Amino acid sequence: MQSHSQGFSVTSVLERISRFSTRGLALVTSFAFLMLFIVTFFLMTLFISPSAQAQSQPETPPAVLTPRQVVEYALTLEKLEAEFYRRGIEQLSNGTLSTLPEPAKAAIRSYGEDEGLHVPDLSAVLKLLGGNPDAITITARPNFNAILDRDPFANPEDFLLALQRVEDTGVAAYKGQVQNLQAAGDAGKAVLAGALEIHTIEARHAAGVRNIRQRFYGANIRPWIRKAREVDYKEIRKNSPIPFADEAFDGYATRDEVLAIVGPILAG
Amino acid sequence: MNLSPLGNSSRRNLLKWGLVGLGTAALATVPSTALARSSRYLKPLTFTADDIGILNFALFLEELEATFYVLALQSGKITDRKEYDYLKAIGKHEATHVKFLREVLGYNATFRSRDLSYSASGFRAVLKDRDTILNTAVALEDTGVHAYNGAGPSLKDPTYILAAGSIVSVEARHSAGVRGLLGRPATQKPSEDSVPKENLVPSLNPFNGRAYDELYTPKQIIAIVASLNIVNNPINGALVA
Repeated sequence: MQSHSQGFSVTSVLERISRFSTRGLALVTSFAFLMLFIVTFFLMTLFISPSAQAQSQPETPPAVLTPRQVVEYALTLEKLEAEFYRRGIEQLSNGTLSTLPEPAKAAIRSYGEDEGLHVPDLSAVLKLLGGNPDAITITARPNFNAILDRDPFANPEDFLLALQRVEDTGVAAYKGQVQNLQAAGDAGKAVLAGALEIHTIEARHAAGVRNIRQRFYGANIRPWIRKAREVDYKEIRKNSPIPFADEAFDGYATRDEVLAIVGPILAG
Repeated sequence: MNLSPLGNSSRRNLLKWGLVGLGTAALATVPSTALARSSRYLKPLTFTADDIGILNFALFLEELEATFYVLALQSGKITDRKEYDYLKAIGKHEATHVKFLREVLGYNATFRSRDLSYSASGFRAVLKDRDTILNTAVALEDTGVHAYNGAGPSLKDPTYILAAGSIVSVEARHSAGVRGLLGRPATQKPSEDSVPKENLVPSLNPFNGRAYDELYTPKQIIAIVASLNIVNNPINGALVA
């Protein structure tokens, strides 16, 4: 330390202790049953009204997924995200999104490339876990209109809004799996590390899209989530020891909650 | 452990301190007791290799961030309204993280906010001008992202890992937000990584590159923090060994 350098300190007061409680864990569901459930669920989404689904969601305890199931689920979401970017990027040069400012186009292409890397990288991990990435398929024509109830590729503002919602849900989806991967112990360590590596990239993307909306389109939005209504998942959890209602803490979403959101899109 | 009955928050104290500014003349107004304490004894920060050690480590990083933003706002160098609002909001988030971690740790917090001794010359350097302030903010936020990510797989308590996850994505949003103010991309190019690819712990980093926020070990994080020259306290313990 230089001789002229002076130290200083900032005082604070210790706050009261609050005890943490751990979230309860649900029973393990077999993989076969799970896939059957997902298929059935998607078929049901074609016929059941959204409100009926919503009523049954809060009662369902979060599923305990194996690391392999987490990767299969993540790969599904990444394929969907990559396809969303692909469809948007198609419109950048001469299409409906050609009026986006150049920095926004560069960002969208860059984020799309990132998602494009997540797909093969997660596929490789899934193979290592004994799974088959080629069996994780999404419909050829996802119904992206389900995000905003209108065509998200029709104009830049709607595209950015839909993209923000997709990325924010992606962040919450990865966050929602960290406890499952932790619970798997050593068997989940590598997948947990990989999921964490992706989780904050999704957050950077979400924040980047929010930046673009604020800067170029005057949207009343910030890189972080200020209001629960900005996102499609349940941002606030009243009974959690984590103060999710505060904007300094990002919410999570369970797989069932995320599938309820993306189900109508995957139904095609 | 000093449990003061006073109800004022660390945030308010930080603000109060921040009012004296960072100029050389203003530093003379820092209470002489604080300077005397700092020059006589610097409390070592010890981080154990368990959940409590990790939470203390996270607390240390959040304290640095919170202090940095208070001083950045007081520096007078951030004159653009949008930039000021961003740093103000981010600083509030960091102060909230400090408060949360202190609540969680309770008596297990191994240092008080006032035990931290900051280098005035180090802070003067990172608060030199608008560009330096914003780039330092990015560096601190990126470091926070890699730190939380790196500590995540070591956490045993399920609530702690969810809490860490709920904080780390906000840090990532901060980085991307300030990067936007600077016209920098939201994600890190490999050339921006503080820890080069060959020094990453392979078992912690199944992926690497721009599309991934690599996991840094606490030891790697401490080296990055040391390079900023803003903290005087010695740092030790199994977590960072």
